[in-house]
Order: sequence, then structure tokens, then C-alpha cells
Amino acid sequence: MDRRTFIKVGAGLGFAGHLGLSAPAYSQGAAARTLKFVPQANLANFDPIWGTQYVVRNAAALVWDTLFGFDEHLVSKPQMAEGASVSADGLTWTIKLRAGLKFHDGSTVHAKDVVASLTRWSARDSMGQMIKAIQQELVAVDDLTVRWVLKRPYPKMLMALGKNSTPMAFIMPERIAKTDPFKQIDEYIGSGPMRFVKDEWVPGAKAVFAKFADYKPRSEPSSWLSGGKHIMVDRIEWIVMPDPATASAALQNGEVDWWENPITDLVPQLRRNRNVRVDIADPLGNIGTFRMNHLTTPFNSVKARQAVLAALSQEDYMRALVGDDNALWKPLPGFFTPGTPLYTEEGGDLLKGPRNMDLAKRLLAESGYAGTPVTCVVAQDQPITKAQGDVTADLLKRIGFNVDYVATDWGTTGQRRAMKNPVGQGGWSMFHSWHAGADCINPAVYIACRANGDAAWFGWPNIPTVEAAVTEWFEAPNLDAEKTAIRNLNRAGMENVTYAPTGFFLQYQAWRANISGVVKGPLPFFWGVSKT
Amino acid sequence: MFAYIIRRVLATIPVMAVVALFVFSLLYIAPGDPAAVIAGDQATPADVERIRESLGLDRPYLVRFGEWVWNILNGDMGVSIFTNLPVTTMIKQRIEPTLSLMVLTLILAVSIAVPMGVVAAWKHGTWIDRCVMGFAVLGFSVPVFVVGYVLAYIFALELDWLPVQGYTAFKEGFFPWLENLVLPAIALGGVYIALIARITRATMLEVLQQDYIRTARAKGVGQRSILFLHALKNAAVPIVTVIGIGMALLIGGAVVTESVFAIPGLGRLTVDAILRRDYPVIQGVVLLFSFVYVLVNLLIDVLYTLFDPRIRY
Repeated sequence: MDRRTFIKVGAGLGFAGHLGLSAPAYSQGAAARTLKFVPQANLANFDPIWGTQYVVRNAAALVWDTLFGFDEHLVSKPQMAEGASVSADGLTWTIKLRAGLKFHDGSTVHAKDVVASLTRWSARDSMGQMIKAIQQELVAVDDLTVRWVLKRPYPKMLMALGKNSTPMAFIMPERIAKTDPFKQIDEYIGSGPMRFVKDEWVPGAKAVFAKFADYKPRSEPSSWLSGGKHIMVDRIEWIVMPDPATASAALQNGEVDWWENPITDLVPQLRRNRNVRVDIADPLGNIGTFRMNHLTTPFNSVKARQAVLAALSQEDYMRALVGDDNALWKPLPGFFTPGTPLYTEEGGDLLKGPRNMDLAKRLLAESGYAGTPVTCVVAQDQPITKAQGDVTADLLKRIGFNVDYVATDWGTTGQRRAMKNPVGQGGWSMFHSWHAGADCINPAVYIACRANGDAAWFGWPNIPTVEAAVTEWFEAPNLDAEKTAIRNLNRAGMENVTYAPTGFFLQYQAWRANISGVVKGPLPFFWGVSKT
Repeated sequence: MFAYIIRRVLATIPVMAVVALFVFSLLYIAPGDPAAVIAGDQATPADVERIRESLGLDRPYLVRFGEWVWNILNGDMGVSIFTNLPVTTMIKQRIEPTLSLMVLTLILAVSIAVPMGVVAAWKHGTWIDRCVMGFAVLGFSVPVFVVGYVLAYIFALELDWLPVQGYTAFKEGFFPWLENLVLPAIALGGVYIALIARITRATMLEVLQQDYIRTARAKGVGQRSILFLHALKNAAVPIVTVIGIGMALLIGGAVVTESVFAIPGLGRLTVDAILRRDYPVIQGVVLLFSFVYVLVNLLIDVLYTLFDPRIRY
């Protein structure tokens, strides 16, 4: 019994009854069956197809299930699906559902639900859009069988259905999945291991999930999004805490059980507490980035972009992000996530070795730069973009750019980066961001590495050699061919500077010592997590 | 008096109309795009544009403003762009914690600050006076979030007497409710206590030099009666005025306090809505705060007549 409980009990002797002290909200046993979790951000909406924020995806993985799911080796394994087969010509995919799967409203999961869900998903997801573009038909053959016929082979089909990047191919009841993909759903019925308790949802403060009694976990051991998703608690409460210091204190005080992403500054304090455990959250980490606008001066010149890379010190960026903790970062002379099968440093020499300011200045002079302002848009409300922006501003000034530092917030950055106007007319030269490492494992899920002009991500790079390598990867028959394609892509992207990677960094997660089963992964996996 | 109250209540209508026009226009011209926030970081420009269209954000200003005003007049504050929940539902979810925090802070502040100010005036020029004024300077100078962190560290982490964060509804019991609000109320009340204490002291100093106070003393009236019955009642009008004006301080301070103590109140709702450009929620909350502020000032005007019978409306 802690001191506060003791005081309550003492006070309760005198004030029992009407003052409420003698009737705590949860008994000891009930408290042990409720897991209190502090998510990375506010769960402001709950449609994982309409809203593609990671926090929505993370919560959705509790409520909705997928046909396939990535395991810890990034292999797509059957989840709701019994299995899948593809015809010899690679054009017809047949997916068989497991029998007896139920939605939270008690209805049975049918193939027609899968068809409607995949139709909605494919309108929003980049891989889904590629499949939709070559789709002949997507139909329910019977209650448990789905057939997807294509005009051209799509070898990455299982990856598309099982990937963890947003939006994931979650399966919803047909009536809900028929909602316009650009409009929000308002019923949160899935077939996942937890039910969403909508009545207790206070956006910005709290979201509650209750164990789904009729969930049928697979028999295999769980591994990330695949295998048996055994839920060991009755209830999971997500408690949104905008202030990291408060979250840290609440964890140390035992008011919450698990904090998804403690900031680095507070980790030493958490480590000193014997009741708290700290470890890396996601081994796939994050890639810091800043994107230059390829449409406007000065970064419409490849020499100007190369000048930035020649002088860019990734250590400076990473120190600004994670401080002195060397376990949390590593240099990244490439675009893909370190430690994953396609990682390569091909062509990344400009980012290696001592930084070369003379070369940077020479390249800038060769670019014909005449001192036009470089509009550097920096969102101040995101610690990662703020830290990177400050380093960039200093870097650009040292190279000789005329920097126009625009301090703003993420909402404004989101609007401004979509503008193609020239600088001085609402346009921009560069903005900062970061990508989850799980989204940078191959070109299918990695929109930021693409360089297909107007269709590319903000900055609109148009580099045909990059796109040729992307096509080469999609058509690659085996892993070796995929690696060759990615080496070509990395080289072309580095030479032409699709964007500037500022380094690879990891983040921590922290939990109370009485919690077990927490694993490292690209999202918090609640299955297998228990509390004593 | 009744006619006056009716007139004042009716006068809130044009005030609210001006506030509505101002808020809507300000949000319209402010940079930022909810569609970009919704679409997420991986979205393409085409996705963002499609979402903007689906939210109706591509429609002309007058069309959007007219529709919003019409809905407000029909009691509909709209639906949050992000949560897809009615704004009234979101406000209902959040109003109890904020109201609780403000009421408790108000009670705490008045019950501490007024006696402090009275004692400081009574002991004018002594160390007690200097201590009170020193505290007032400190209260003004130290930001709410710093006070909050210090209180949480001492009373929650070190002493383990009170929780760090959260809110327990009043229906769960008085003590659980109070337990969660004590630290936030003290943190938020600091500035308010300083403000009221200073005004009370200044006003009391003036009143204590009046002839009728000297007369009371000459008649042998006790010090406590002089201070609290004769002097304080006559000093009450400016004090009550400051308490009313200070409501704006409380509303502003609640935003920070609710974030520091993770209280799910209207302050946090406002900040979240602003950062995401959730226009219907921002508009709804600002209208509500404006309405509350107008009503509080009306209440203060009515209270004047209780403290000073010469005031008639």
C-alpha cells in the first residue's frame, strides 16, 4: 500500500460513504486488468483509411484486423486469411478467409466485407492505388473466398496487404467500408482483439478499448502484426498527455503503465527509477529529412542541392535530436532503413567523411546562385522539425545562402509545402520532416523516395533514373534483383539529391516494472502484454 | 433591476455576433490547412485537395460563414473536422473539468487573497506587509507551468500525497474530485491570488484612512470589526471588479494548467483545435468563452448593488 492509498484509507474511516473514498473506481484485481498507456499523440480521429496519422494506425491495429500482417522479419504472414494463392500467370489472386471470424457487432466476417474494405483502402494507399490501376475485378466468390484479377502481375500483393505503413489494409464490415474513402466513418466496428468503447472516447484526452470475447487468435506465436494476438488484460486505456514532464511523472508515480515515446531528456530520470523499464521502441527507427523544392531557385539546380549535401553534418542533426546518447543514432548515407534487407549506401559518398565546406561553396557558385532568399519553413511545434530546422539554417548560412527562416507550426507547414508558387509569393525552398523507418524499407511504401515530378511528394523531384530503378524493383523476380534495383535507386537519388537525409535515429519507450511482454516494433503491440 | 438584467442579457447578442464574425474571419485568413493535417505526412497534394473538397473548405467565405451562422442560430455548432463528433458533445465532455478547476481556483484565490490583502493593509509597512507583497510579485512573475511542475514534483513525486495528473468526475466522490484538482488550482491560482491581494491591499489602505474608520476606532470598535465589517465592505467594489476581470486570466491560465496536469478540459480542447485548425471546434469554444465572460461581468455588475446600495440601475 503506498502512502496516498494509506491516507485515503485513513480519511475514509471518517468520511466513508457519501464522500466516495471507500469505493475506489477499481479494485486491486480490476486495476491489474486495466492497462494505462500514454500514446505518442492525441487520437483525434478514428478512421484508419481517412486519417493516416501513425497514432490512428496504432489504435486501429487493436480494433481492426488485416488479411495479412508483417512479422518481425518484415515477411507478410496470413492473419485473417487462411492463405492466398496466385495463378501461374500472376494475374489472379485468390484469398481464403479463416472461418468463424466475427465483427464486434456479432456479425460474421464475409468475403464481401473484404471486397468493400479493399476497395476503400485501395483508393487511399499508394500500393493500393497501383493495384487499382491494373485491376480487372475484385469479387467475393463465396462467403470465404475473394478473387482479385489483375491486368498485369503485381508480385508485391502480399506485402501490400500485410504492411504496417499507413493506411493499412484493415477489414471493416461492408456497410461501413462503403463510406467514401475521403469521408470519415462514424462506426468503429472491427474484428480485431479489442473493441473500441466509443462512449468513453474523449478526443484529446482518453480512448478506451475493451477485450473482444469472440476474437479468434491464430495458433502461431505472435510476431508483430502476425500470429496469435492474445490480449492479457480486460481493458486498455489510452491517456493523452501533451506534456512529456507530466507523462514522466505519471509513469514514475504508477498512474500510467506504459509510455510510448518518452523524450530523450527525461530518459536518465526514468532509468534511475527502479520501478520503470526503458528500452528502444522501434528498431526500425526514423529517418530525419529536409526536402528542397526542385521547382524553384536555388534548389532547381542539382549543384545547389549537392552543395547542401557536401556540407551537411548528420551528426549535428542527430545531436540536436537525441543529445549525447550515441545508442540512439547513426549516420545514414542513403535513403533506406539500416538493418533492413534492401539497405544500401551506394552513391552516398557525398554524405560520408569530413564535411567539405570548400566543395559546398564551389558547387553553390557553379549553380549560379545569386543570393535569392531561401525560404526555410520550420514547424516549431514539432521538436524534431524545430531541432532540424535550426541546424539547417546555420548550415545554409555557412555555405553562403541567404536564409529566410520561417518559424511556423505544423498545420501551416502542411499547407505551405503544397504550394508550387515561387518563393516570395507564398512558395517555399525547404521544409523538414521525418519518416518512420518502417515506411522506408522499399519504394512501394516510401513515397518520399519517389521522383516522378508532379506526382512525387512535396518538392516534386523529377529524376527519370530514380523512377527507372523503382520500376526495376517492382518487376524484380527475387531479392538479389531487388537489391540491385535499390542500389541503382539510391545512387540516382543521391547524385540528384531527391532529398537530404539528416540521419537515422531511434526513440525509447518506457513502462512500469510490473508490465511484461512489451516488444520492440514499429507500433506498440498490446497482444502478449500483461500486468501484475 | 430585473429590466436591467434583461437588457444586459439582450446586449450579449450583438457582442456575440461581433465575436462570431471576428473569429470566423480570423480563422479564414489565418494560414494552415486542416486537410493537410488530416491527410498526414505521406499524403500527396492530390489527396490533400480531395480532402479539402470533401470538407467544403474550398467553398467561398460568404457561403461558409452564412451556413455556419444559420446553423448556430439553429443551435447547431457543427461537427468537428477531425473527430466527426458534434462540437456540443465535445464541449459537454470537457466543460465539467474546466468549470471545476475555475470554481475551485476562484474559491481558493478569494479565500486566501482577500485576507492577505486586508492583513497587509492593516500591517502596512511591516514585515508582514512586505511578505505579502513579495508573494504577490512572485505570483505575478513565476509562470503557471513552473509552479505546476514544482508542485507536482513535491506533492506527487516526492511526498506521494496527490496524483500527478488527470481528473475524476464529481459524481465519483468529493475527495477523489478534490484530490485531482488541488495542485492545478494552486498553480493556476497563484497569479489570481497575487492580483486580488494587491488590489485588496491598495483599496483597504485608502479606506482605512477615511474619517468613518477613525470614528469607529475612537468609539472603541474592535480591530476585526473595523477591518472586515466597516472597511472591507466599502473596499469590495474594486475587489469584485478585479475578480471579474481576472476571469480572463483564469480562462487563459486554464489552457496551460490543463496541459501540465493532463486535465481533459476546454483549455486543452482549444489548443488542440487551434494546432489542427479544427475550425468548428475553435469557433464553438471561443463563442462559449466569450459568452461566459460577458455573463460573469453581468454578475459582477449585479453584485455591486449588494456591496454599495447607492448603486442603482
